[in-house]
Amino acid sequence: MSAFLTSSLMHNIFGGLAQGVVYSLVALSLVIVWQSTHVLNFAQGAMAMFATYIGMTEIDRGIGYWWCVIISVAVGMIVGGLTERVLIRPLYGKPEINPIVVMVGFLGVLEALSAAIWTSSTRNIAEPFSQIFYHANGNLVYLSPFIIFQIILAICIMLLVAALFRFTRLGLQLRASALAPEVSRLLGIRVSRMLTIGWMLSAGVGAIAAVIQASGSFGLFPTNMDGIFVAGFIAAAVGGLESPIGAVAGGLLIGLAEQFILAYWSPNVAPLGGIIILVVALMIRPQGLFTKHAGRRV
Amino acid sequence: MDWWRSFFRQESTHSRLIGVTALAALTLAITFVLPPVANSELAGGAAIAIVILGLSWLIGWSGQISLGNSGFMAVGAYAAGIWAHHHNTTPLVFTLALAIVAGGLSGLIIAIPSTRLRGPYLAGLTLAFAAAVTPIAQNFTSVTGGEGGIFLNSLVTPSWFGHLFSGANAVINANAQWTADLAVVVAAVSFFFMANLFHSRTGRAMRLVRDNDVAAELMGVDLLRTRSSAFMIAAAYAGLGGALYSLLEASVRPETFPLTLSITLLTLMVLGGIGTLSGAVIGGIIYSFSADLVAHVNSLTGVNPTSNLGANMQGIIFGVLLILTMMFAPRGLVSLRTPIQKLFRILRPRRQTPDLGELH
Amino acid sequence: MTLLSVSALALGGITTGLLSSSAGAAGSTPGVSANSITIGATVPLSGIAVSYAPVSAAANAVFKWVNAHGGVNGRKIKYIRLDDCYGLASYGLGCTAGASVTTLSQNQVLVAQDHVFATVGSLGTAAEESVEGYLKQNGVPQLFVNSGSKAWDDPSQYPDLFGYQTSYNAEGKIFAEFIKTHYAGETLGFIGQNDDFGANGLLGLTDGGVNVASANALTYNTADAITGSTSDIQADVATLQASKCQVVVLDSVPPFTTGILEVAHALGYSPTWIISSVGADPTSVNFAGEAGAYTLDYFPSVTDTGDAWIPWTRKVLLADKTDFPTFTSSSIMTGNELYGVGYAVEFVEALKAEGKTVTRAGFVKSLLSATFSGPAITPLKYSASNHQGLQGGVIAKIDANGSKAPVNATPVNGTVFTTGNSKASPLKTTTKLTISPIPSWLK
Repeated sequence: MSAFLTSSLMHNIFGGLAQGVVYSLVALSLVIVWQSTHVLNFAQGAMAMFATYIGMTEIDRGIGYWWCVIISVAVGMIVGGLTERVLIRPLYGKPEINPIVVMVGFLGVLEALSAAIWTSSTRNIAEPFSQIFYHANGNLVYLSPFIIFQIILAICIMLLVAALFRFTRLGLQLRASALAPEVSRLLGIRVSRMLTIGWMLSAGVGAIAAVIQASGSFGLFPTNMDGIFVAGFIAAAVGGLESPIGAVAGGLLIGLAEQFILAYWSPNVAPLGGIIILVVALMIRPQGLFTKHAGRRV
Repeated sequence: MDWWRSFFRQESTHSRLIGVTALAALTLAITFVLPPVANSELAGGAAIAIVILGLSWLIGWSGQISLGNSGFMAVGAYAAGIWAHHHNTTPLVFTLALAIVAGGLSGLIIAIPSTRLRGPYLAGLTLAFAAAVTPIAQNFTSVTGGEGGIFLNSLVTPSWFGHLFSGANAVINANAQWTADLAVVVAAVSFFFMANLFHSRTGRAMRLVRDNDVAAELMGVDLLRTRSSAFMIAAAYAGLGGALYSLLEASVRPETFPLTLSITLLTLMVLGGIGTLSGAVIGGIIYSFSADLVAHVNSLTGVNPTSNLGANMQGIIFGVLLILTMMFAPRGLVSLRTPIQKLFRILRPRRQTPDLGELH
Repeated sequence: MTLLSVSALALGGITTGLLSSSAGAAGSTPGVSANSITIGATVPLSGIAVSYAPVSAAANAVFKWVNAHGGVNGRKIKYIRLDDCYGLASYGLGCTAGASVTTLSQNQVLVAQDHVFATVGSLGTAAEESVEGYLKQNGVPQLFVNSGSKAWDDPSQYPDLFGYQTSYNAEGKIFAEFIKTHYAGETLGFIGQNDDFGANGLLGLTDGGVNVASANALTYNTADAITGSTSDIQADVATLQASKCQVVVLDSVPPFTTGILEVAHALGYSPTWIISSVGADPTSVNFAGEAGAYTLDYFPSVTDTGDAWIPWTRKVLLADKTDFPTFTSSSIMTGNELYGVGYAVEFVEALKAEGKTVTRAGFVKSLLSATFSGPAITPLKYSASNHQGLQGGVIAKIDANGSKAPVNATPVNGTVFTTGNSKASPLKTTTKLTISPIPSWLK
C-alpha cells in the first residue's frame, strides 16, 4: 500500500487533484454567474484576489486565520453584489461584447489597485496547516496536511452550493429566475434581487478559491489568479457554462491533465493541456460536454 | 470645405491611397521635430496601431471577440525573430512577410474551432491561447532563446538617412527617427490595405454575418469561411505588428507579450473606437505616449511616480477609461463630437450599417 | 507620394538646420563637460531582482565620496540610475517603474535625453543583451555589465563592451573542479535560469569535466512567478529528488534560490547545494536552510576587517546618508555593496588615468592596458582579446547563524582558482589572494 502511495502515478494524481479543486471552484463561480445573468465574468479571479487581500491582511493585525477567511468571503460577496448593481445592470440587453469589455476593464483596475495598495510583490500567508509532505517507509507521499485541507474545503463548498440550489427556497428562486425570468416575476419572485444574489454567491465561491491559492506555496500577489482564471474558464467551458457538475468535473480534468504534462513533458507546456482538452471538447460539443440543451442561443 | 470632404468621401482606392498617404506624410513630418525619445515611443505606437487595427476589424466588422492578440503578436515576432537571427541580411520586407504568414496561420488554427463558438467561449479560448504561447516558446530554448529571448540587429539606419543629420547627437537622432519613419511607413501600408478591405465585398459580407448570420447564409455567404478569414486577417495584422515591435526592440523576449498586453490592446481599441481606422490611429497614439500621459497625471496629482500608486497609475487609468468608455461612449473617443473627429472622418467608412443590396 | 516627399523634404531641411545649430559643438564627447561627467545605468531598483539594488547604490556612494574629495581631474561624476525591473516590468512582480518600462526604453532615455558618456554597471544578463545593439549603434560604451554572461567578452563584435565579474562559464569550471575533488562519483543535478545565465553556467560545468545527465539539467523561468498555475521549481526539485541527485548546482537569482531551497526543505530533500555567486548572497536569500551551501566568492568576507577594503567600504557607505540612510557602523554589509564598490573604483581609476581630455575611444583604449585596484581578491585585467573582467574566485561556505538566516560566507581554504571562458583555457590555482592597497587619493 505504501509503495502505491509513494509511486509517481499517485504523486501526479494527488498534485492534479489539489490544483484541480481550485480550478473547479473558479469554474463553479463562473457557472453561477453565467446561469443567473449570462455574463462571463472576466474579473472573477481578480475580484477574488482583491477580497483575499482585504481579508488576509487582517492576519497582520493578529486576527486568526479562520476569521480572515470569513472576512475574505464576506468582502468577496459585497464586491460581487456591487459589481452586478453598478457595472453589469446597465448593460443588460446590450451586445454581448459590452459586459465582456467592462469586466476586462474591471480586471485591470482591480489588479493595478491591488498593486498600488499592497505592492505587487508576493506576500506569503501563514497557512493553517503544514505544507511539508508526508513520508511512508522513508519515501515521499505527495500529500501534505495543507493539500488535504484544501481538497476537503473545496468539496465542502461544492456540496454547500449544491445543497443551496437543490434544497432551499432561495435556491429554487435562483434557479427559477435564471430559467424563466418572466414567469418568475409573475410568480412574485424579485428577479433583479436574485441576479444580485447570484453574483454574490459566485464571488463568495471565487474568494474561497483565491484564499486556498494564496495560502499555498505560491502566495498572494495581484496577478496570482490570472492563470487560475484561465484554467477555471477552460474547465467551465469544457463542462459547459450551464452545468455546475460539468464545471467541477472540468476543473479536476484540467488539473490532472496539467499535472501529467508537467511531470512527463515540461512544466512550460502544461497550459497546452487545457487548450487541447478545450478544443477537442468544443469540437465534439460546442456547448460543453455536460450541457443538456444543445440549442443555440441567438 | 465641402469639396475637400466630398473628395475624400469618394470611396475609390485612389482617394483612400491619398488619404492614408497624407496622414503618413504628416506623421513623417512630425518625426523631424520630435525629440529622439519621443520618436522611439512613436515607433512602438505605430507597430501597436497595426495590431489594434486587426483587432478592430475582427470585433467591429466580423463581431467575433479575441483576447488572444498578444499571442498572435508573439507568433509573428518569433517567426520573424528566429529567421532574422539566422539570416541577418534578409530584406526587411521578407522578414515582415514571414511574420504575416505565421500570424495568419496561427489565426487559422485558432479559427477552426473558434468559428463554431460565440461570445464568451470564443473570448475564453483566445485568452487561453494567449496564456499558452509564451510559456511554450520558452520551452524550446534552443530555438527561441528561452526566457532570455533572441537578440536582433536588423534595423540599421542607412547611411543616406544618417547624412541628413549633423551635430554632436546626429547619430542618436538619426537612429531614433529612422525607426519611427520605418514603422510609420509599414503602418501606413497596413492601414491602406485595411481601408480597402473595409470597402470590399468581403467587408460587406462580414458585416452582414455580424448582424444577421441567418440572413447572410440565405444569401449564399459561407459563414465558416467568412468568419475564419476574419480571424486570419486579424491574426496576420497582429503578427506583423508583433514582428515590427520586436525588430524595433531589437529582441524577441517572452516578457514583451504578457497576458495583460491583450487587455491593453482591447482597451486601446475600445478607447479609439471599434471598427474604424481612426480608432486604431488614436489607440496607437495613446499607446505611444501613455507613459508621458501617466507621468503628467502623476505630476498633476502630486503622486510620486516611483511609489506603488504612481507605478500602477497606468493600469488604474486605463481600466477606468475602458469601463467608462464602454458604458457611456461605446463607439470610442472617435464618436465624441470634436473638431478632430471631422478631420478623422475622411478615413472612416461611410456607412456603419450593412446594406443588403450591395451583396449582389 | 508627392505629398509625402514634399512635406518630408521641406520639414527635413528645416529641422536638419535646427538640429545642427542647437546641438552644440560637433566633436565634443557626450556627457563630458569641463567640470562634470555624466554616466548612467539601468538597474533593478524594484521588482523581482530588487535585492541587487544596493550594488549600484554602493557604486553611487563611491562616486559621491570621490566628488566630495574634489572629483576626478576637476570633474564631478553624475551617476544616473534608472529602474528597469530586471527587464521584467511588464510582469509586475513588485516593479514600481511602470509596466511599459523596458531596459531598452530606459537606455534610450539615458542615451538620447541625458546624453550619458557611457553606461556603467547596468545589471542583468538578458536585459543587457537586449540593448547591446542599441548602445553599439549609438556609439555608447557599455561598461562593467553586472552579469557573468560571457556575452560581454566579444571584442570583435562589441569593442566598447566590457564585463566585470567572473563569468558563469569560469564559475562552472571552478565548481566542476570542486566537485571532482570533493564529490567524485556522486550524482549531479542542475537548475538554471532559462537564459544565458543558466546556459553559460551549465556549459562551464561540462567544460570543467563533470557530467550532468540531461534529465537532471533543469531550468526555471522567472515568468512562472506570475501565473501561479504551474510551478517550474517544484517540478524541478521533485525531479532531482526522484533522480537521487546528491550535489545540486544552482544558477538562480536570489528569490528563486530561496524558492528552490524552501521547496526542497518541504520535500525533505537535502543535497549538497552549490550556488552561483550572484544567487547565494545570504542576506538576499534570507533562509536559514542555506547554511552549509557552497558558493564562489571574488570578494573578501564582509566580516574580514583585516582586508582594508572592508572598513573603507563601511566608511564610504556611512558617509552616504541619501542612499544608505539607515546604515550604521554595526549594519551587516553584503557582497552586493563590495560589488558596487569594485566597479565604481575601477571606473574612477580609469577616468583618473585619462587626464583632462576624456573621449570614449581613449577611455576604452586605456581600459585595455590599465591595472586596477579594488576589493576583488582575484586579478581584474582586460586585453584586446579579453573583455570579461575578473578571472576566478574562491569556494566559500555559507555560515550557520542559529535559526536565523545566514549573513556570511567564509572561504573554505586558501585556494584561489582562475580560469577563462573557453574550454581550452586552463584552470590555475594559487594560494595567494590578490589584495590591492587602497590608492592614497581615495582614502
